[in-house]
Amino acid sequence: MKKKRIASKILGALSVLTLTFLWAPVILIIVYSFSNSKYGSSWEGFTFKWYLKLFTNEQVRDALMRSLIIAGVTVVVSTLIGTITAYGLYKLNFRGKQFLRTSILLPIVFPSVVTGSALLVFFTRLIHIPLGFPSIIIAHIVFCSPLAVFIILGRMQRFDWSWEEAALDLGATPFRTFMRVTGPQLMPAIMASAMLIFPWSFDDFVITYFVAGVGSTTLPIYVFSQLRFGSTPVINTIGTLFVAVTMLGILLVYLVQKKTKTSG
Amino acid sequence: MKVPDKGVTKTDSGICLEVRDVVKRFGKLTAVDHVNLQIRDGEIFSFLGPSGCGKSTLLRVVAGLENQDQGDVLISGQNVNELPPYKRDCNTVFQNHALFPHMTVAENIGFGLVERRLSKSEIKKKVADKIELVTLGGMEDRRPDQLSGGQRQRVALARALILEPAVLLLDEPLAALDRKLRKEMQIELKRIQREVGTTFLNVTHDQKEALSVSDRIGIMNEGAFLQIGTPDEIYEKPGSIFVASFMGATNIFSGKVVSQKGGNIELETSEGLKIFAPEPGNSSRDPIVGVSIHPELIRLEPETSEESSSDPTSQTTFHGKINEVFYQGDFSEFTVALKEADMLLTVHLTRGKGYRLLLPEGQDVIVCWDCGSNNILRG
Repeated sequence: MKKKRIASKILGALSVLTLTFLWAPVILIIVYSFSNSKYGSSWEGFTFKWYLKLFTNEQVRDALMRSLIIAGVTVVVSTLIGTITAYGLYKLNFRGKQFLRTSILLPIVFPSVVTGSALLVFFTRLIHIPLGFPSIIIAHIVFCSPLAVFIILGRMQRFDWSWEEAALDLGATPFRTFMRVTGPQLMPAIMASAMLIFPWSFDDFVITYFVAGVGSTTLPIYVFSQLRFGSTPVINTIGTLFVAVTMLGILLVYLVQKKTKTSG
Repeated sequence: MKVPDKGVTKTDSGICLEVRDVVKRFGKLTAVDHVNLQIRDGEIFSFLGPSGCGKSTLLRVVAGLENQDQGDVLISGQNVNELPPYKRDCNTVFQNHALFPHMTVAENIGFGLVERRLSKSEIKKKVADKIELVTLGGMEDRRPDQLSGGQRQRVALARALILEPAVLLLDEPLAALDRKLRKEMQIELKRIQREVGTTFLNVTHDQKEALSVSDRIGIMNEGAFLQIGTPDEIYEKPGSIFVASFMGATNIFSGKVVSQKGGNIELETSEGLKIFAPEPGNSSRDPIVGVSIHPELIRLEPETSEESSSDPTSQTTFHGKINEVFYQGDFSEFTVALKEADMLLTVHLTRGKGYRLLLPEGQDVIVCWDCGSNNILRG
């Protein structure tokens, strides 16, 4: 009985500790983003001025736009590639399919440092892709598409393929079948992968840092470069916005999943 | 090409669907083994057989969902071997209905018409017609998951019929329904078929269903047809041991012919029983391997001391003891252990005819039936 109480106390303390380390930094950043202190690390009264400063800061605006464009293009291309690849991997039978299916997930488990440096060498030494937008977007598609394949393939495994046969039987060509039946049925999975890929691409630092080159600063890289000059209040506001956007994304995924669950 | 706005296809030959020497293999397994078949315009034809006999595969070959390894499929006289499913003049009602879950009842039914690029008003009119045909009025805007099993069934049927195919293929569509609903749907299916006149090709493993809905039945086993005929032919004159036992003629005496006289043949079973049966009219090449007798054609009488010896060429008579009684409601099933041989006979007595006879388990009985009822089996 007593032993049990001690065990549960230890567990409780561990939980508190974990949650503290998980949430305290984030909460502090959010709180200090509204603080009047110019070092952004103590509370000296409430203010919105850092947010105003943030939105008038041209560097931040450029970096944000760049990040949004990159994430936008990455989402569209990755989900497209992901859908087609998953469909091919599920429907076609060819030699080396299993190998391809496994290897396609490698970018997810590979350390970002490896992927990043490998891509940098590949772009600069071998195929001479200019560093900047093109290299960043390609790099993001490389590590985001597998996620889409993964999610959409998972949906396909629970898919009733007799729908597809029924559509073909009712006179729809394979293309029309995909547009009218298979595609709409995969839509929740496609949307879910888009909502996961967006923050992945938007937040990515390591791989982007490798392949960005000079002058294509994305928002995470900008934040990192600013931190080297010490913690500034503007960083706090960016952090707060990041958290807000990511939470919104997670909320959307949750809502979509809930909706697809209730509609069967 | 599927041609819209065409009624029931009438070819000169009256043959709606022809299958010529079709073979379909899956790896080492031969699912369909050199099958030949002709289905006439406007009939309900059932493929009947145990699961795994190749009946669904043959249906899928006709639909174009599987490609045969050998042989030809002709729909309305046209060879469709090279045509994909979306160009064949046949439509399928799938076993699990395969309704599109993101579409309403009306959208599901109109699916094929959209592919044919009919105008919205035409589609609306035709869908309304079909909804009336399958009595689903008021359900137009529901989604499949808001329907009962029987209603889904009707939607699947309407969706396939709306394209007015030369042949409607039904892949065990009633299998998933409960017994009462299945009975209702059988009646519905027959009514709808008589109304639209389309040729129906129905796949089923349910003997009762096949007997009650079909104009003709093809019994399949191991990828081939063993017997094709009308329901009464299949039930009353099964030609082989497999067909007899599959159609419920559970009493089978296997043996060989020992003599032939006066329009009768005499058969000696492996247990040494002698059974007379009417000489078969048509002489088949296959040898006679036995006779079958349906449980409902056998009479049961309590054994009495004064035994009337009857002519064995007109009455088949054996002595036995009631082994077990299974009450079924409308009839009772008795298993009788024969005294002449180590064999169990199944006997059905319906209510009304001799049913009130007190026949407890262990009772000594005489089993007898007309020799004319003995059905000859070949192998």
